[in-house]
Amino acid sequence: MGRRLPILPLLVMIVGGFVFLMGQSALKGVKRSRPKAEIEVALPIFVQVALAGGDRYLAANWSVIRALVTETARMAPEEYQVLGQVQKDASWLNPAHEDNYYIATAILPWEGQVEPTQVILGRATVVRFFDYQPPFYYAFNLLYFMGDAFGASEWLRRAAKELPDPDEQLTMENLAAGWLDRSQDLDMAARIVDAMAAQAKRKDFADYLRQRGQRLRDLAALRRAAKTYSEQHGRPPGSLHDLVNAGLIGKVPVDPFGAGFAIDSDGLPIFMSGLKK
Amino acid sequence: MARFGALFSAMWPFCISALRSGFRSRAVVLILLLGTLLVGVAVLAGSFSPRQPQTVTMDVGFSGIRFSLVLFAVFWVQELVGREVERRTVLYALAYPVSRGAYLLGRFLGVLGLLVVAAVALGGLLWLSVIFSAGEYTQGFPVQTGWPYWLTIAGLWADAAVVAAFTLWIASLSTVQMLPVALGALFAVAGKSLGAVLDYLERGADGDQELIGRYGSLLETIQYLLPDLSRLDWRTWPMYGVPVSDAAVFYGLLMGAGYVLLLLAMAVITFGRREFF
Repeated sequence: MGRRLPILPLLVMIVGGFVFLMGQSALKGVKRSRPKAEIEVALPIFVQVALAGGDRYLAANWSVIRALVTETARMAPEEYQVLGQVQKDASWLNPAHEDNYYIATAILPWEGQVEPTQVILGRATVVRFFDYQPPFYYAFNLLYFMGDAFGASEWLRRAAKELPDPDEQLTMENLAAGWLDRSQDLDMAARIVDAMAAQAKRKDFADYLRQRGQRLRDLAALRRAAKTYSEQHGRPPGSLHDLVNAGLIGKVPVDPFGAGFAIDSDGLPIFMSGLKK
Repeated sequence: MARFGALFSAMWPFCISALRSGFRSRAVVLILLLGTLLVGVAVLAGSFSPRQPQTVTMDVGFSGIRFSLVLFAVFWVQELVGREVERRTVLYALAYPVSRGAYLLGRFLGVLGLLVVAAVALGGLLWLSVIFSAGEYTQGFPVQTGWPYWLTIAGLWADAAVVAAFTLWIASLSTVQMLPVALGALFAVAGKSLGAVLDYLERGADGDQELIGRYGSLLETIQYLLPDLSRLDWRTWPMYGVPVSDAAVFYGLLMGAGYVLLLLAMAVITFGRREFF
């Protein structure tokens, strides 16, 4: 004679299975909430240090890796501000961090975060007295983003002093002289981004930088076309398609980051992300 | 002098038995396991680096070694003193015609010896992984894998020794299980954070005068109670070739040694007066 099955556990089992199936099938229709922001918060410095067991270098590395794995191509402007803060904090924790100033220079100023970049580069210049690159990028940002050709030239001379080779020093000093009458030079900006890409060990990051360089060259080409258009028609183009219709460019270039290009109220081609709303 | 000799010969058996039981327990396996994990994390972190993979590997590795050594220090003190007190097996040891102080100091020396073994093993593993993490890429600024590297490892060992002394003091008076582990870990975090916090306030706390006013005097007091363990962290030398001054190394070690002596004396006093029944 078989033993009688216990009623209560059996009942619970059936009820449990039923509830589970109900829940599971109901969940199918519910959309998963996905945190949209790529990089949402910058923690206070003390919290970062405490979380790293009091180890400021570890906290710095953590921030830099966070900055590196962030998909910047999809970020909103306020998120760049957070990224700027994260990297600025990392530079406070370890001002000598090479990747930190390098990534910051490659990303932040192009998205409006010039101030944190300059702070990071300024700190790196002091601590990395053997490295010409932080003052070099500092100089470039002064020239290109802040329009301070005189200050840029000064910083470039400072960078020249860190170069080991006297010939290279001379070249850079010449460059410093030349910079006095250049600003908003997109082709130069593209060349600097390409030079940064050439230094990257990681292929994906190098590719990312090359895309950034290409974007700048595309914009430069659009600006040249717009200038020709203005000269030919006596008025600036109203849209990018005017340039295509006038036969000045083959087609509107595709922005690898998806934001696209636009024309501002003065008829100057710009990145869509820079368009004032 | 003769008294020191007698004390030392009384301490010796406790030191040896500590080393033996350290190795007999799974300590060695634990070191290797943690070491492999640590090297894995360090190499992974290094692989994220676009320009300085070896530096990042070394940086994260140092943080990992510091973390592991502190963990070992706390657990070994708990294992070799705390647990013995708790299980009353300490009474067998104290039945020898030697002072209780000799027992405690012998155990401490044993823990220091185990920490040396752990530091050399983990340091060696990290050293190898730093060398091999370069791959075909040559960094613009090479890391130093010579004696600055091993000096840094020695500094991390000294850091762990201070934590071990603190944990020993707590174990000498604690009647609560695991209290030495918890307080030892807390001490390690607080001592290591102190440097970053002081630095932050010294540099003007980003202009937050209220913060300076509120915590400035408190921290001024705390730095005479708590050792600044970040002063035993000399990693900028092997990582960036920025040498640490002789004074920084010397006074750092002096500070650590003084604090260890203070704690050991306190531990011997409390342990000598302790009632076990």
